[in-house]
Amino acid sequence: MEKSDRWRGLFSHPDSLERWQAFARRTDQKVGAFLQFDPTVALADSDTAASGPLAGVPFGVKDLIAVKPFRLTCGSRLLKDFVTPYTATAVQRLQAQGAVAVGKTNLDEFGMGSSTENSALGRTSNPWDLERVAGGSSGGSAAAVAAGILPFALGSDTGGSVRQPAAFCGVYGLKPTYGAVSRYGLTAYASSLDVIGVAAKTVAWAREAFTAMRGIDPRDHSSAEYLPFRRSLSGPLRVGVLPLGKEGSAVPLDPAVERCWARTLKDLPKLGFTLKPVEIPSLEFVVSAYYVIACAEASANLARFDGIRYGARAPEAENPEELVRLSRSRGLGDEVKLRILLGTYVLRSGFQDQYYLRAQRIRTRIRQDFDRAFAEVDLVLLPVFPCPAFRRGDQGMDPFTQKLSDIFTCSANLAGLPAMSFPVGVEANLPVGLQFMAPAFAEELLFEACGTFEKHFPSPDSPLYDPEWKG
Amino acid sequence: MAHDAMDREELYVTAQLARLEISRDEADRLEKAVFQMLEYFAKMKELDVAGLEPTTQLAQDNRLREDTAADTRDTEPLLTNAPELEDRLIVIPNVL
Repeated sequence: MEKSDRWRGLFSHPDSLERWQAFARRTDQKVGAFLQFDPTVALADSDTAASGPLAGVPFGVKDLIAVKPFRLTCGSRLLKDFVTPYTATAVQRLQAQGAVAVGKTNLDEFGMGSSTENSALGRTSNPWDLERVAGGSSGGSAAAVAAGILPFALGSDTGGSVRQPAAFCGVYGLKPTYGAVSRYGLTAYASSLDVIGVAAKTVAWAREAFTAMRGIDPRDHSSAEYLPFRRSLSGPLRVGVLPLGKEGSAVPLDPAVERCWARTLKDLPKLGFTLKPVEIPSLEFVVSAYYVIACAEASANLARFDGIRYGARAPEAENPEELVRLSRSRGLGDEVKLRILLGTYVLRSGFQDQYYLRAQRIRTRIRQDFDRAFAEVDLVLLPVFPCPAFRRGDQGMDPFTQKLSDIFTCSANLAGLPAMSFPVGVEANLPVGLQFMAPAFAEELLFEACGTFEKHFPSPDSPLYDPEWKG
Repeated sequence: MAHDAMDREELYVTAQLARLEISRDEADRLEKAVFQMLEYFAKMKELDVAGLEPTTQLAQDNRLREDTAADTRDTEPLLTNAPELEDRLIVIPNVL
């Protein structure tokens, strides 16, 4: 815990604060984790008199989540100058404990992507290898934590967007139970899937941040009262393991991930876990069902961006209809347009049964499969992504393969279940993570399991990480 | 009738419904990606979904709130985000 103590009360120690700020600015010139970074502007909204453990602790917020007085750009040209008039509940709850939101982190536009390369406003690199992506869509949050700029940062996870960048950057990534954290102030992408999560350097930071944020919020009617899941049995945690690599999967595991997977299966029993094979037969359908649902909901949610009340407006439009069409066409990027088009198409009259309704029925099957698994085990172990961080640009992974690679992460969103990615190894100088999934409201089980593994293998420090901010 | 194939014309119709203007260049770029995904969606047909109720949402119950008056947010900061204002009114091009 010594390494983490230096964050506490940072804002009441001028010397440390100055050293940290210099380190943060210098390091972020290489990484590009932040779209906005201004520790002083955010201080006003934090309860600096708070005496809890989070007092004076800096954290970052994905720029899809509102924090007054920062801009809320969503990584989009359309919103690059939009100033949010309010702060998200999840952020407010951290601020009430004295934590300071020091900046807004880069992301794939509106959370749509797996590399942060779909940001219209900045380029984020992986602190382990600046030629590689940090993952996405919460790439800036994971990169900032891995670079040692922050102990934790908020992200959002619609299909893996906290867990995958966390795995790419060698840190922890929590996707809470659907409804466990208020989404008031989170820009909606796919409302039946979205959840605010956290990327963190240690399990303890993830747990502290989550505990501060969770719980019902009158401003978000999809938020739930947090009633922790209680395990019926005591004794060792039973981990369900999928039979991976047996059949020809659409996206084969990279040898580095395969090695880490095999090694972790050997390590877990030594750490006191019991392993048990489980089957999730619907897994091969999750990606198609996920993209139908996510795109359909996105096409509805993003209809609000019309250039009328806020956002970049096409100045030459001659009538309101043209104004909306031109503003959207100029303001939105290719990946966002692709998903809006897909979503609009699958919701068109005549196609709904074939696409959206069928996807929702498959979603029920996925939930049933996990219900069945969790009758036998406490946790399910899964890879996060089929490979470690890939290269930027054309040498990287094509967008279609990126989507197919969501196979291990998006089922937690479809089923509304909590999941947490944790680092398990470093292969060829790149971190590899796996994830545990748990029953609804069983975040404590995830912290317990990841914490046990952390004692055996803590988050590896990236080359940019500096525990003293000396640099 | 529902069908899997989408052609260029359908892409433009869909774009119009989505209030997007797609240039020819963009259509060239987006077309392949759209078709590829729609083809992939067809995989869902392989699963027998008979007897499965659709999952439309995950919220556990339909929660209602008290119908009471509450403070409305200050509208000034919202208005400052408007691209064009006349007093407190948002200006758009002529409707007629």
